[in-house]
Amino acid sequence: MNEFALSLTFSALARGLLVTAAVTMAASLVAVTMGLVVGLCRVSPRRSVRWPAIVYIEFFRGTSLLVQLYWWFFVLPIFGVALSPWTVAIFGIGVCVSSYGAELVRAAIRAVDRGQYEASIALNFSRATMMRRIIVPQAIRAMLPAWGTLLIELLKGTSLVFFITISEFTSSAKSAADATGNYLFFFAIALLGYYIVARGLITPFVRWLESHLSRGFVRITAP
Amino acid sequence: MIEHNVRLGKMMTRSKVLDHLIRDKDNVSIAMTQPMVRFENVTKRYGALTVLDGLNLDIARNEKVSIIGPSGSGKTTVLRMLMTLEQINGGVIWVDGEPLTHMNKHGQLVPASERHLRRVRAKIGMVFQHFNLFPHLTALQNCIEAPVSVLGLSRQEAEARGAELLDMVGLGDKKNHYPIQLSGGQKQRVAIARALAMRPKVMLFDEVTSALDPELVGEVLNVIRTLGTEHDLTMLMVTHQMAFAKEFSDRVCFFHGGKIAEQGTPDQLFGDPQNERTKQFLSAVLEAR
Repeated sequence: MNEFALSLTFSALARGLLVTAAVTMAASLVAVTMGLVVGLCRVSPRRSVRWPAIVYIEFFRGTSLLVQLYWWFFVLPIFGVALSPWTVAIFGIGVCVSSYGAELVRAAIRAVDRGQYEASIALNFSRATMMRRIIVPQAIRAMLPAWGTLLIELLKGTSLVFFITISEFTSSAKSAADATGNYLFFFAIALLGYYIVARGLITPFVRWLESHLSRGFVRITAP
Repeated sequence: MIEHNVRLGKMMTRSKVLDHLIRDKDNVSIAMTQPMVRFENVTKRYGALTVLDGLNLDIARNEKVSIIGPSGSGKTTVLRMLMTLEQINGGVIWVDGEPLTHMNKHGQLVPASERHLRRVRAKIGMVFQHFNLFPHLTALQNCIEAPVSVLGLSRQEAEARGAELLDMVGLGDKKNHYPIQLSGGQKQRVAIARALAMRPKVMLFDEVTSALDPELVGEVLNVIRTLGTEHDLTMLMVTHQMAFAKEFSDRVCFFHGGKIAEQGTPDQLFGDPQNERTKQFLSAVLEAR
């Protein structure tokens, strides 16, 4: 293989990695936002709010991500809704992961000490204020580690966008391996690439959030 | 149509004013005799277990009442019902002449709406056994969160008042500390300041020293003592501190089996208990000391 072909291969790989990172970040944003919204609806005392959230979670968590992507991409156009591959990638993955996230949100809110709810009632907070100012800030901190894991899962799920015509990291590694016959090398790079995005991007971000939000939860010297 | 509405509006305004006058007049005459808190035949059940059985209890304005009794006698439930943390299964609770658990609708008492609950509940503050401070907020933030977001005070106003209250409980220098940086006694004093920041008329203390190391009990009781002597507050406390109950209370109620088995002034109840159960309880408590 000549050097020119190799350089093309590497630039394709680099582009694939960028696509994967971009889809991961955008879909994460959707997942976190929708996860919070649906999770909060899931714990609402109002049935009319709670039930749609339950249906959302059951549907998107209970069915295959790839099939969901196919629906967004191939089936919706039948009903006149044509979405670009990137839109499908970001929202398809984001929405699916948000259904798992919503359950994390619910668990974390339920796990906030009962005394916090009682003190909020004693101080006469409205339910909305109590959630916003007291419960959710504590729950967010508790759910962060689980979100870290979930976003790494999301990162790995992005390889499925290949099936809706986006060439991302895994598929570019595969074509590089196919073109050169060097499967060992390029799939080693593929493994490493995901690891680097997970450890270099997602974990530090979640850690940063954790330390940022941990005021009052760990003993620090008095100001 | 518009004219009609205007006229209707005027009528309503007039009747409201009239209503107000009547109510004010009533209040003046009733205020002296009307209890601050009234439990009227209140029953509380958990499934098949009856925790409180037709409780009748009146607490006068500014009265300090201690509730003592063995565990499981329903004493904490009394406070929790008054704070609306527990729903009641029968009877009516009145606060400052208004039904707390119910509201008046067409001359009948119906279960209270959330709005009614919040309005009447504003008169009550509570301090808990396990403090229940908000861990993500500093001592001062704990004291200003509700005044700002519930009472609508400006941040400055709330901060000034919060700092004043923390000073009062002797924690002026700790206002920027998070709860985890405070001792149990300090946490409980912040909790008292936080409750007072809402300007309640009735304060409930639920075994507020039970979770404290013995050497920290005094500082909390001192704050409560000051409150009782320097402020117009109706106070209702569940306590195991017999000496404090004796010294501080106007009245002591001994609960047993979901009922008030005996009540009276501290001198009567501790000095000359009539009920067999009271005698047993007091001698058991005194033996333990």
